[in-house]
Amino acid sequence: MSDREVLVIGGGPAGVAAALEMARGGLKVTLCEQGPRLGGAIHRQPDDPSRRVRVPKAQRQRWQALAEALAASPVTVLCRHMFAGVEGSGAVLLEDRASGRIVTRHPAALVLALGGVERATPVPGWQLPGVVTAGGLQMMMKSTGRAPDGDVLLAGSGPLLVAVAAQLTALGKAPVAVLERSTSAVSLRALAGLIRAPAYLWEAAGYLLPLTKAGIRLQRGASVRSIVPAGDRLSVTIVDTIGLEQRLVVDRVALHDGLLPNGNGTTPAPNGPFTVLAGDCREVLGGVAAIADGRLAGLAVLARLGQAAPDLAGAAATLRRERRTQSALNTLFDYSGSDAAHLPDDTVICRCEGRTLGQLRGMLAAGDRVSAREIKLNGRFGMGACQGRFCAEWVAAFVASQRDGQPPQVAEIVGSRWPVKPVPVSAFVDLPPSSPSE
Amino acid sequence: MTSTSQAFLFDGKAIPFDSNETIAMALDRAGIRTLGAGQGNSTGRYFCGIGTCQACTVSVDGTRMEACLTPARIGLQVERIASVSL
Repeated sequence: MSDREVLVIGGGPAGVAAALEMARGGLKVTLCEQGPRLGGAIHRQPDDPSRRVRVPKAQRQRWQALAEALAASPVTVLCRHMFAGVEGSGAVLLEDRASGRIVTRHPAALVLALGGVERATPVPGWQLPGVVTAGGLQMMMKSTGRAPDGDVLLAGSGPLLVAVAAQLTALGKAPVAVLERSTSAVSLRALAGLIRAPAYLWEAAGYLLPLTKAGIRLQRGASVRSIVPAGDRLSVTIVDTIGLEQRLVVDRVALHDGLLPNGNGTTPAPNGPFTVLAGDCREVLGGVAAIADGRLAGLAVLARLGQAAPDLAGAAATLRRERRTQSALNTLFDYSGSDAAHLPDDTVICRCEGRTLGQLRGMLAAGDRVSAREIKLNGRFGMGACQGRFCAEWVAAFVASQRDGQPPQVAEIVGSRWPVKPVPVSAFVDLPPSSPSE
Repeated sequence: MTSTSQAFLFDGKAIPFDSNETIAMALDRAGIRTLGAGQGNSTGRYFCGIGTCQACTVSVDGTRMEACLTPARIGLQVERIASVSL
């Protein structure tokens, strides 16, 4: 085995597949995961098998195979280690949550498998407690094996809404309604793309049939217009294709408008190690592609470090197939932004600091052409604790819609400085410097 | 294994939890949705569930951590964070 360490960030399918490939190729691999357990957002399960949330069989088997291979491998796994970035000298910074310390590593290569983040489109009231992302709601369900209490409304766009609705229904807690904002019809081209990937059609049928049987309201072309508190509950105004409004009172609203690559921290650092992105943080293609992409990332590292690398033509073919399927799916859930004209000025855009659409409109109306950096530094959009993960893309699209010419780039608004997530100052100064084996 | 005897403290109140539950999940089951004063008129609350949005950040034994990523442990002192001024 080579004595050169390689580091993988992210314990989902892409990260685990990359770690395994590099370990097989003879490298010393350390796998870091921010949460207490591996599996990523897709493969989360409670310990108690009697409580497991139903997932497609093939999905369960994919993770089981990875988990078994990992257990049999020499890969070192560090859970509760947050990736804080690559600092100026090229050291990789990790925050060890159990000890509260920053640890530094100088790996020969770095694989970033940071996953995706959900897109949620701003609506008045989306900052209220009880409003969550559909993935956040699913995470609760998957980890506890229990349905969240209270009435749930699912809204936005994307196949995840239907999957979460089916899982809620299977746990005896059918959602009040599922609102899909897209109105695009199924085209022959999209259908042809999906028929080539029958697993997705089976998965869709597995979700849709129980929903139809349970009589769940699935409404296309409908979306949430606003959310206001109603005592302990939430009063939601929804609007349909012809503009009719209706009010629903629920306990939780789960929003989702597709997935975006989690790009924060992925900009190459000047003195940093050879870095490869893998899985949804490189390109959102889902769980099957993530494994193939992780293997290919591992292969790239092996080749770079001069280790013998296997032929992974199969993984490359899988990636191409999943890309075709994803593009067919995307035509069914064609998120093309939502019309911001109807959004009132007091709509919160930056959830971290409560910056509003009125403040953004004011900046744009002030005369001088506002740069991406000014949007952040003066407008404070993308400045808060989430570092623009839930507003930067929307802000960039909104600014582009308001003027001609070059739109501001999300990466420019966000910037690329470490730490990529908030780290307590005490992790740097209160404790003696750590000296991990490097 | 489910046990109701294990608990952590949230602003001094005992919150029971199941093994492998995060602080956020145990608080949600206890019916607690408001996790702090938050920033800019946005209340602290659970949102993304994967440690990205930072909205569920609470104080855990004196250190700020995302409630959705932090495993519940017996005796942890978890507190809402008062409003952060900018």
